[in-house]
Amino acid sequence: MSVPTAALTVRKTIDVACSVEQAFETFTTGIARWWPLATHSVGDERARTAVFEAGVGGRIYEIWDDGSEHEWGSVTVWEPSSRVVFSWSPNPDREAATEVEVRFVSEGDGARVDLEHRGWERLGEEGPSVRKSYETGWDAVLGRFCSAG
Amino acid sequence: MVTYEAAIDALGDPTRRAIVERLRRGPSAVGELARGLPVSRPAVSQHLRVLREAGLVADEPAGARRIYRLDPAGIAALRDYFESFWTDVLDDFKAAAETAAAPTTEEERA
Repeated sequence: MSVPTAALTVRKTIDVACSVEQAFETFTTGIARWWPLATHSVGDERARTAVFEAGVGGRIYEIWDDGSEHEWGSVTVWEPSSRVVFSWSPNPDREAATEVEVRFVSEGDGARVDLEHRGWERLGEEGPSVRKSYETGWDAVLGRFCSAG
Repeated sequence: MVTYEAAIDALGDPTRRAIVERLRRGPSAVGELARGLPVSRPAVSQHLRVLREAGLVADEPAGARRIYRLDPAGIAALRDYFESFWTDVLDDFKAAAETAAAPTTEEERA
């Protein structure tokens, strides 16, 4: 039997009691204030802070205690207060990546944040460039999670 | 019990990822898998053993052969791990976004 791609994509939704502007800023350029580096980083206890640069092409990386930078990915879509898409390859030894899309939607006094993590599961995708990218993406994301474990 | 660590470790090898990719199209025997891969049949068998022990692949006899297929439970366990990863991250994000919103309100009051 085959396993449908839809069953493997990770989608998360969370409601936050703040404006979409605040939510977007916090998630992106404000990442150093909250990202759980101790458990979700390449360097574990060596990781000191995280950086999320604004704009398409902006780099996302962590900085270690020795000042070295370890890249997680880079921004591919930048729509302030609305949507951000970034490649996600937290293993600095690899280049290609999985993909994360985050949408910010106004809801009443607050905001709804929808996150989709895709690519890591797309082993069956057709198309050589896509497949090559995602196969390397597995290496990247899995290498990262192995080291984090 | 099979864990996501075992699944992640098993998928750290490109040949095993290629096997999983093939099996996503449907069940297959070792010989069929080996024909599409640049590795020997015994090597494919070895990789299938690793994938089976990791819970990603199941097998059953079909006459003189064994047919291999993806094990939805193992795939689901891996997916659950990624789900858990983002749940943790978003919880911390929510707390920070709402905390960051608070000082603005106090400044407005001052």
